[in-house]
Amino acid sequence: MRPVDTTRFALGAATGNRLRTVLLMLAMSIGVAAVVVLTALGDGARRYVVNEFSSLGTNLVIVLPGRTQTGGFSPMNVITGTPRDLTIEDALAVKRAPSARRVAPIVVGTSEISGSGRLRETVVVGTVADYYAVRNFTMAQGRFLPEEDWTRGSPVIVLGAKVRADVFGSTPALGQFVRIGDRRFRVIGVLGTSGMGLGMNTDELAFVPIATAQQMFNTNTLFRILVEARNREAIPVAKEQVREIIRVRHGGEEDVTTITQDAVLATFDRLLGTLTLGVAGIAAISLAVAGILVMNVMLVSVSQRTSEIGLLKALGATEAAVRNAFLTEAAMLSFAGALLGYGMGQLGAWIIRELYPTLPAYAPQWAVIAAIGTALVTGLLFGFLPAKRAAALDPVMALAKR
Amino acid sequence: MILRDGVFLAMRAITAHRMRSGLTLLGIAVGIAAVILLTSIGEGVHRFVLAEFSQFGTNIIGVAPGRVKTGGAAPSGLPTSVRPLSFDDARALQRLPNVTAIGPVVFGNAEIEGNGRTRRTTVYGVNEDALQVFNMRVAAGQFLPRDEWEGARAFVVLGSTLKNELFGSGNALGAKLRTGGLQFRVVGVLAPKGQFLGIDLDDTAFIPTARAMELFNKEGLAEIHITYAEGADASKVAAAARAILTARHGREDFTLTTQADMMRTLGNILDILTMAVGALGSISLLVGGVGIVTIMTIAVSERTSEVGLMLALGARRGTILGLFLGEAVVLAALGGVAGLVLGFGLAQLIHLVIPALPVHTPVLYAVLAIVLASMIGLAAGVLPARRASKLDPVESLRAE
Amino acid sequence: MNSPPTALIELAGIERVFRLGDSEVHALHELDLRIDAGEYVAVMGPSGSGKSTLLNLLGLLDRPTAGTYHLEGRDITTLSPQEQAQVRSQRIGFVFQSFHLVPRLTAAENIALPMMLAGVAPAERAKRVTQALDDYGLTDRSHHRPDQLSGGQRQRVAIARATIMQPAMILADEPTGNLDRATGEEVIRLLEELNTRGVTLIVVTHDAAVGRRARRRLDMEDGMIRADTRVAAA
Repeated sequence: MRPVDTTRFALGAATGNRLRTVLLMLAMSIGVAAVVVLTALGDGARRYVVNEFSSLGTNLVIVLPGRTQTGGFSPMNVITGTPRDLTIEDALAVKRAPSARRVAPIVVGTSEISGSGRLRETVVVGTVADYYAVRNFTMAQGRFLPEEDWTRGSPVIVLGAKVRADVFGSTPALGQFVRIGDRRFRVIGVLGTSGMGLGMNTDELAFVPIATAQQMFNTNTLFRILVEARNREAIPVAKEQVREIIRVRHGGEEDVTTITQDAVLATFDRLLGTLTLGVAGIAAISLAVAGILVMNVMLVSVSQRTSEIGLLKALGATEAAVRNAFLTEAAMLSFAGALLGYGMGQLGAWIIRELYPTLPAYAPQWAVIAAIGTALVTGLLFGFLPAKRAAALDPVMALAKR
Repeated sequence: MILRDGVFLAMRAITAHRMRSGLTLLGIAVGIAAVILLTSIGEGVHRFVLAEFSQFGTNIIGVAPGRVKTGGAAPSGLPTSVRPLSFDDARALQRLPNVTAIGPVVFGNAEIEGNGRTRRTTVYGVNEDALQVFNMRVAAGQFLPRDEWEGARAFVVLGSTLKNELFGSGNALGAKLRTGGLQFRVVGVLAPKGQFLGIDLDDTAFIPTARAMELFNKEGLAEIHITYAEGADASKVAAAARAILTARHGREDFTLTTQADMMRTLGNILDILTMAVGALGSISLLVGGVGIVTIMTIAVSERTSEVGLMLALGARRGTILGLFLGEAVVLAALGGVAGLVLGFGLAQLIHLVIPALPVHTPVLYAVLAIVLASMIGLAAGVLPARRASKLDPVESLRAE
Repeated sequence: MNSPPTALIELAGIERVFRLGDSEVHALHELDLRIDAGEYVAVMGPSGSGKSTLLNLLGLLDRPTAGTYHLEGRDITTLSPQEQAQVRSQRIGFVFQSFHLVPRLTAAENIALPMMLAGVAPAERAKRVTQALDDYGLTDRSHHRPDQLSGGQRQRVAIARATIMQPAMILADEPTGNLDRATGEEVIRLLEELNTRGVTLIVVTHDAAVGRRARRRLDMEDGMIRADTRVAAA
């Protein structure tokens, strides 16, 4: 039989029983739609996190005090103490590394900011002018911390957007004074609203010069040193240089952990990627169930159309022709269902994007192809047995049936 | 019609087309199996994590300096310009009723030198109560002795991994260790405890809190652990602690967390995760339901004349509805049982292959699975069954 | 054996109109009919004459467009669907040309079906089925499915089923249509035996030989009764 005729025959069979066809297509489409929506969600989350990380500034090498024996990144390293301090002088030394473009040491603590009659407990970050460039900040008002001697701190402060709103409300903040403990600071800038960066929402932070922060929190050790490498290729080199510089300064002891932002990002990327894959895989189980349904219905179909098949064979159709006709029917059903599911899935992803504009919920191409492909393969696989049965029917027996 | 007869007729209908019924059943079974498998893993992880947590004992309240603001949690351990927690604070808390132990804690990361080797490890500054608080056992020697906190002697107790790394199989008791310019004498070695949420408890050294403060150059305590009597009301103890510290500090510049709170939060998160994962599995169930709708629709169209016959024999339309609906429910329920067995079996198999992955299938889940399957059968069977019950007897009898 | 006639069935002014596309078909028109208990009636006529429609109406499978139908003194047309179902269950037995046995049930189970539908207890059912199987010579076929029975055996199962609830009347629609002559005669004899025991028998047939055996003959054409002939008891 010519492919055109095969297709027409299959189409006729499908449209002949509309409800059944619709139900089969629905079953297939649920699976495909689920995979599309879920991968859109998962990939959206992954991209969101990667984007947020990139907002930290690219080409970053991060130095943390403390190190595990295995050298890995562990939760215990998040905040820890060490016998030997990580100092501003260490940071200054790191600044001289050939592959380092910018260096920003930071100190972090919590404190109460009072101003304009209000009190707000805030996380305060002590840092230097270069932090602005390293973190790709934008100012809403004023300017960031001034370029100055790191060991001296002028009494100025930059507020995150939410801190400003909480302390000053609708009154202007620039030029005003706030108190932290028994120190006064002049507000010289307000940050533009931004998203999360490595766990802390910058809107809820306040920035002061690092030396001042060290005095305030009575700590000699730095929380982190951020190092921006000259370019992407220089990152590993910069990492090594920084490690070596600090090791020498610390009497040959390696008591810091140096990680690249890339490495952290890669971990998250991999984690979320695997998660998305896993989730999609579970959704795809439903495609197998849809396949079982296709087989079921087609088997019924074959037994109901026995006389029709007998007639075809009596009229000269070969076994292959009959088998192909049924396989084509299965393939068409699966494909149509997959397309329908694709449409439904994209609609779902669109709805998610509308509801959560910050989440780039786009179904990745590999997922779409995999879903539609799996649907097709499943349909063909499960359509095979019924097709074989149809092909193997004895024409005489088939025609004799009522 | 008696229920027994209804079930009998349903079973006859189902077994009349074994392949068809089997495949329909299989659809539901796969869906239920997926749900059971996934929720078993989720439940297993939940129990495992909670068990790990409770190895610290559940009667603990943690006090940390700095106030956690709603919406913006400052991680504990950050330095703060508010008043730090001190030994005196800890002693004040010790006097509270129902408090059985107080643990002032400082921790950090340091390189320890001993027996000619060095190892970078976690160092915990604790007091003699830490053994009880952390639910640890001494393998050799003793734990840190009861000493005046400020002037505690420079003893150190080693975790099992740390001991092995530094001393191998040799004796560690009495040895001298150096770290950060300070010297300590080993008085005890702990039995292996294992990991807790990724943190290796055996690669740890325990020294007195005051000495740790010296080592890490800290002025205040990182945390105070309050252990209270079994059966005492946690909220009352917490309230009392809060009152005392607020009085001492002038205001509430610290955060109290009860172990129960943490476990509850953690439990909730895990539950949500398990449910989400279960929901994923039920996508397959949805398709299985569509399968039942399809097959029942086919069945009704095939047995149209049979419906006419039943009407002629005096069956009420409600009975016809019930018969077809019952068939769908029985089919689905059988699929549910099969899926339950399959899912349970798979969960156990996976646990065998990956012993590290805990699984647990609560009886409740099993029951719910069957109920869920039956309800899907009910929902899926409604439309075809209604169609059947609305058939015109004359037309139906005429049908092939 | 002439018992005083009590009107079993009374049809008055029956109309049954079907809508086919734009046109109306009067399957039954201005029909009046009275049948007494114990009668043996044959309804004959060409196809399209309305005889099957009349039977369906008598058996409460169909409702008249106009007119009244009294069965055992009750006005059937005012009954609710539930009540009608009950009447079908208890007062009427059907025998069809194509038997309409449930293919997946055994002979015994097919016979028991009306009792199952009526909610009769299993023990009682078993007793009556055993008796029926014996009456119709089907005892060694009781566990066979319809596709394992001959045409005659199938119709006997159908008759056993139709009578198991001891109805007042049997409606048979071409009961011998799918059977060979010898078997057909046997089936008619079985039905007539039921009639001698007092069960009203109404047979729709196009077979003149069958029609001749009845004691009353209704000839139908174009939805109306053209002739109503009573034959002297044979």
